[in-house]
Amino acid sequence: MMEKRNRYRFLWALVLVLILSLTVWPGRPPVGDAQAAGGPDSGPSLSGRLVDSQGEPVRGARVTAWADDEEEPLAEAESQPDGGFILDLPAGPLPRLTLRVERPHFAPLEWRAPYRYLTALNDGQAVRLPDFEMARRITSGFWVATLTFVAILSLIALEKLPNTMAALLGVAVVFGTSFVGGAIHPDLFIFDFERALEYVDFNVIFLVMGMMIVIGIIEETGIFQWLAYQAYRLSRGRAWLLAIILMGLTALASALLDNVTTMLLMTPITLQIGLALGLDPLALLLPEVLASNIGGISTLIGTPTNILIGSYARITFNDFLTNLTPGVVLALLALALYVLFVYRREYRAAGERLSASLLARLRENARITKPVKLRKAGIVFIGMLFFFVVGERFHLEPAVTAILGAVSMLMWLGSDVEEMMKVVDWTTLMFFIALFMVVGAIQEVGLISLIAAGIKAVVGDNLTTAALVLIWTSALLSGVIANIPFTAAMLPVAGFLTRSLPGAGSKILFYGLSIGSAMGGNSSLIGASANMVTAGIAERAGYPITYRRFLQIGLPATVLTVAVGTAWLFIRF
Amino acid sequence: MGKILCATRGGEASYRTQDAAIALARERGDELLFLYVVDMRFLNRSASAVRPDVVSAEMEHMGDFLLAMACERAQKQGVEAKPVIRHGQLREELKAAAREEGVDIVVLGRPGGGDSAFVPADLEAFAAALERETGVETRIV
Repeated sequence: MMEKRNRYRFLWALVLVLILSLTVWPGRPPVGDAQAAGGPDSGPSLSGRLVDSQGEPVRGARVTAWADDEEEPLAEAESQPDGGFILDLPAGPLPRLTLRVERPHFAPLEWRAPYRYLTALNDGQAVRLPDFEMARRITSGFWVATLTFVAILSLIALEKLPNTMAALLGVAVVFGTSFVGGAIHPDLFIFDFERALEYVDFNVIFLVMGMMIVIGIIEETGIFQWLAYQAYRLSRGRAWLLAIILMGLTALASALLDNVTTMLLMTPITLQIGLALGLDPLALLLPEVLASNIGGISTLIGTPTNILIGSYARITFNDFLTNLTPGVVLALLALALYVLFVYRREYRAAGERLSASLLARLRENARITKPVKLRKAGIVFIGMLFFFVVGERFHLEPAVTAILGAVSMLMWLGSDVEEMMKVVDWTTLMFFIALFMVVGAIQEVGLISLIAAGIKAVVGDNLTTAALVLIWTSALLSGVIANIPFTAAMLPVAGFLTRSLPGAGSKILFYGLSIGSAMGGNSSLIGASANMVTAGIAERAGYPITYRRFLQIGLPATVLTVAVGTAWLFIRF
Repeated sequence: MGKILCATRGGEASYRTQDAAIALARERGDELLFLYVVDMRFLNRSASAVRPDVVSAEMEHMGDFLLAMACERAQKQGVEAKPVIRHGQLREELKAAAREEGVDIVVLGRPGGGDSAFVPADLEAFAAALERETGVETRIV
C-alpha cells in the first residue's frame, strides 16, 4: 500500500515537473533555416549554400578548399541542413583557390575562385559566394532504394507481409546495400545509420504513442457501445435515422481518437443493432466505415496520415479545424445523402423484430462497463483537447500534449507500467520508424526530387492544377496502396511544390494530400485498415464484405466526397 | 439423450444450417449446442493500436447475441438449445468442443454463395479429419 502511494507521489511529481518545465520553457525557436556551422573569429573565410536543381538545400556534402600546390585541403566543412557551409581559410596570400564539393548521389562540383574573390580573401575578408547548384546523379543505390520502396508498397498491398515486417525488410535491404554494397562500389551507398535517424520524425512517434495509451484506456470503458445503443434508442426503429446518427458518431469518434479503434468497437454492436431491426447489418456498417475514414481527416490526431502531414508541414490542430473540418462536414453531408439513396429500400423495410430477451441482451452488451474510469479519462481527454487547441500559443507540441495526457490518465486511473506497455502497439511504432527510414532513403537518392520535378513540369506554375493532381492522384492510389507509406513519400513532394508554386504558401497542397489519401481509402476494401477490420468482424458474424461489394458502395462515395473536399479547398483558399 | 453440436456464425447464410441442426435434434430428441468461435486473426490486418482483450470481449458479446438468436430460433421450433463460445481457430476449437462436450453428432453447413468458412472440397476433408480424430459422426447439411 505504502509502495503504491509512493509510486503515485513520484508520478504526480513527474507530471508537476513536466508542467512546470512547459510553463517556463521558451518554446521552439521560430522555424527557419538552420545556421551554417562555425563562424569566422577572424581571418578570411568563404561561405555559401548548396542547392539541388529544384533549389532545395543539399546537406551533408563535403566541401573542401584547395590551393593548387597543396596535397592537403586548406579547409573543409560539411553543408548544414539549410545547405550552408563556412570555410575558415588560413591567413596568407592565396594565388589560386579551388573549391571541391562531393556528396553521394550528386555529381562532384569544382569551382575556381575568380580574381576579385582572391583579392578579398587575401585582404582577410569574409566572402559570401552565390548559391552552388549541384546536379543529381542516378546511381545504383537509386535503383536499390526505389525498387525497395516499390516492393514494400507491393508486399503491404498484396498482404504478403505485415506492414511492419515489410518496412523493416526495406530498412535491412537499404542498410545492407549501403554498408556491404557501398564497400564494393561507392555508387551502391545510400546513407549511413546516423543519416537514416535524421529522417525519423519523433514528433510523430511520440504523438502516436501518447494517443495509443489514451485510446487504449478509453476503449475499455464501453463508451462506443453505449453511444451506439443510444443511437438505436433515439432512432426508435427508423433505420435511416439510425444510419445517420451512427455515421455522425463514428465520424466524431474517428476525428478525436482513431478510426480503426472506433470501427473495431462499433462493428460488433452495430451488427447486433442491425439484426434487432431485421436489417442487413452491412447497410449500417458500410456507411459507418465510410464516415469513419472521412471523419478522421478533420483533426490533426484523427488519422496517422494527418499526424504525418501536421508534423512535416507544421500544420497545427487549429489549422486542421479551421481549414479541413468544414470541408469534412460537407463531405459527410454528401455521404449521408448518398447512403440514404443507395440503401433506401433496406431502410424502408426495417423494423424492430427482436424478442424482449434479445433486446435486454443487446442493452446489456452496450452498457458502460467502467463508469469511474470513463469519467476520469473523459476529464483528462477534454483537457488534452484544450491543450491541443491552445498549445500552439506557447509552442506546446501536440506530441507533448499527448504524452502528458497519457501519463495523467495512467496516474489518475492507477494503471501500472506493465499495463501501459501492453497498451502501446510497439509494432506500429516500429513500422513508422522503419517507414521514415525507407522514405528517407528514396529522398536521399533523389527519387522524390525526380517525382517533384515531374509534377512541376506537368503543372507548371498553376496551383489549381497542382492541387487537383495531388488530391486525385492521392485518392486514386490510396485505394490500392497503403496510404501511410504513400503519404510519407508524398510529403517532400508537396513540400517542394509548396515552396515553388506561387500562392501555395497557404499549404493547400498538404490539405489536399490529407483529403486525397484518407478519403481515397474508401474506394476499396484494402484502402484503409478500418475497412479491413470491419470486414473481418462482419465476416465472423456471417456477413462477409467482399471486395466487389465494398467497391460498389465505396467507389462512388469516394468520388463524391473527394469532389466535395476539393470544392471546399478551392472555396477556402 | 444425445448431443448435437452445430458450428454457426449467426448470419442469414447460417440459418439453413441452423434449421437443419434443429430438425435433426428434434427428430432424435437430442440436446442441441450452437458453437461460436471468436477468432481474432483479422486483427493482423490492422496497422493500428488495438486492445485484443477489449476487442475479444466485444466479439464474445456479439457471438453471445448471435447464439441467443439461434437458440431462440430453436426454441420456436420446439428444441432446447444451448450456446457454446470458444476462443481460437474454428477447426481446432470445433474438434476440442466435440471432445469436451461429449457430442454424438457435429453438424457443418455446406458452403453457399462464397461466404462460408470453408470451401467445398476443404469441408469434406475437414469433416473426415474431425471424425477420424474425435470419433464423432460429422454431417454436412
